[in-house]
Amino acid sequence: MSQLSGVEEVALKRMSATIRKDILRMVKAGRSGHIGGALSSADILTALYFKIMRTQPHNPSWPQRDRFVLSAGHKCLALYAVLAEKGFFDKSLLDTYGSLGSKLPGHPNMHYLPGIETNTGALGHGLSIAGGMAMGLRMNGTDARVYVIMGDGELAEGSNWEAAAAASHHKLDNLVLFVDRNSLQISGKTVEVMSYEPLQARWEAFGWSVREINGHDIRQIYEAATSAPFAKTKPSVILANTVKSKGFSFAEDRANYHYWKATNEEIAQADRDIAEIEEGLSNE
Amino acid sequence: MSEALDPRKTFGEALVEAGEKNPNIIAISADSSKGSGLGPFRERFPDRHLEFGIMEQGILGFAAGLATTGKIPFVAAIAPFVTARPFEMFRNDLGYMNQNVKVFGRCAGLTYSDLGATHQSLDDIAIIRTIPGVTVINPGDPVEIRKAVHAVASHVGPVYMKIGSPKMPVLFGDEHQFEIGRGVLMEDGKDVTLIGTGTVLSRAWEAAQLLRKRGVDVRLINIHTVKPLDSELLVRAAEETGKVVTVEEHYLIGGLGSAVSELLSQRCPVPMKFIGVDDQYASNGPYEELLGLYGLQSQQIVDTVLSFM
Repeated sequence: MSQLSGVEEVALKRMSATIRKDILRMVKAGRSGHIGGALSSADILTALYFKIMRTQPHNPSWPQRDRFVLSAGHKCLALYAVLAEKGFFDKSLLDTYGSLGSKLPGHPNMHYLPGIETNTGALGHGLSIAGGMAMGLRMNGTDARVYVIMGDGELAEGSNWEAAAAASHHKLDNLVLFVDRNSLQISGKTVEVMSYEPLQARWEAFGWSVREINGHDIRQIYEAATSAPFAKTKPSVILANTVKSKGFSFAEDRANYHYWKATNEEIAQADRDIAEIEEGLSNE
Repeated sequence: MSEALDPRKTFGEALVEAGEKNPNIIAISADSSKGSGLGPFRERFPDRHLEFGIMEQGILGFAAGLATTGKIPFVAAIAPFVTARPFEMFRNDLGYMNQNVKVFGRCAGLTYSDLGATHQSLDDIAIIRTIPGVTVINPGDPVEIRKAVHAVASHVGPVYMKIGSPKMPVLFGDEHQFEIGRGVLMEDGKDVTLIGTGTVLSRAWEAAQLLRKRGVDVRLINIHTVKPLDSELLVRAAEETGKVVTVEEHYLIGGLGSAVSELLSQRCPVPMKFIGVDDQYASNGPYEELLGLYGLQSQQIVDTVLSFM
């Protein structure tokens, strides 16, 4: 396990505020978007791309790179933001969100932008693809890792559990899954729509090693990811407890902001919310 | 047409040959390695044979992920379980992501004649050919199976190929040229065009011989690649013969006949007749008798063509 210095932690928090600002920038352009999951996973994505993962933005198909699979493809506003800030593509593209033929569709397309590894959107696909990547990287003799973010509502898809069984059967300990447990899906509380509890026991029963963290605590995200594999020969899952729409005060922890049709008043509030976050960080 | 060979065995042997040439080729099994013809590959390349058990949705995703790292996965299993069941994985993970994965549906068509409609595959061509960028191959004899495996291994992009299970008559010699997307003019003729594909190409060939004895100058075409279609060969046949009959061990909805009519209705509309299974769950029983139930035996093809003339 590695530890972050205080300076590194503040820098990452500032970047995650910038990511939220970019997410808002895209919504301003397209007037709507899946902000709930983008904002709940934004801190994990920030830590992954700015501290944890091995990438070369100028050489996106570098064979030794770590891979990232956004299984819950609708959270792509956060992915577009980190890729743009990391330099995979020009930030001005963020302003095309929602326009005809934009390279930033509502679910990511690997053929449109450098840095995107998979075409996801239909739920329950990402973990299998990531498992295949992990297997292929191991066969190729590289030590690259594969990171995945999945939504907790997505856990109801049976195909995930096929992937979970295969990943442990084939001992893919270069595979690290974050479950973005914001506890809400479109129609309400996830455990009331289709319960996944006991979640930790489920993953353990499928042969995974499990950690639980606060998915908005950069330090915890970093320490968990760099501790993986938690057990040799086992794939790792990090149950990241998060808040849906984290950072936008009017939308936090509310299922009906899974997909946000933005009003001018709400956008103004989101601007104020981000300014407040940045102001708080300026004193750190 | 004296010799007949086991299509799965032929596929398995060809895959070993392809594997010798290209170390990136890997085989993926869904608890049916031996039945899918992968036994020799597993013996020859144990580290390149991956077993996943009965999880065909997950398998297509894993195959896509493996392909992103440079592997060329060959997935082989019972046809409906790698087409109808994981259709969305086929469309999104292989098609939309344009991954270099080869899916082999074996015991396709009515092969599992006595096991009933869950195991028969009469819709695989219909559903898979809706996916942009996926090549769909249905070879017509063991020589084509072997050559198709090599062509598929060299082709970059997702492929669906189907094979049956009963022994297939050898129709072609070793000099036979197999090119993806290029149909085969087996016999020239001016009166009517008979187009066969896959397992029942041999029945169409037999029918053509019988028709010729009856004085019908029949043109016989083998369409081993249902997508992309050889439009040039087909349009010319329609122009020159004015009548087209298609023969396939598949539903009439969405199969070879549909594909050909989609083409000809735009480029050269002519009267057409489709021979295959109509809109129903097929019956069960001995394979040859099932073919007869759906008009796919040689003499029945002859009768259909004659009544259509």
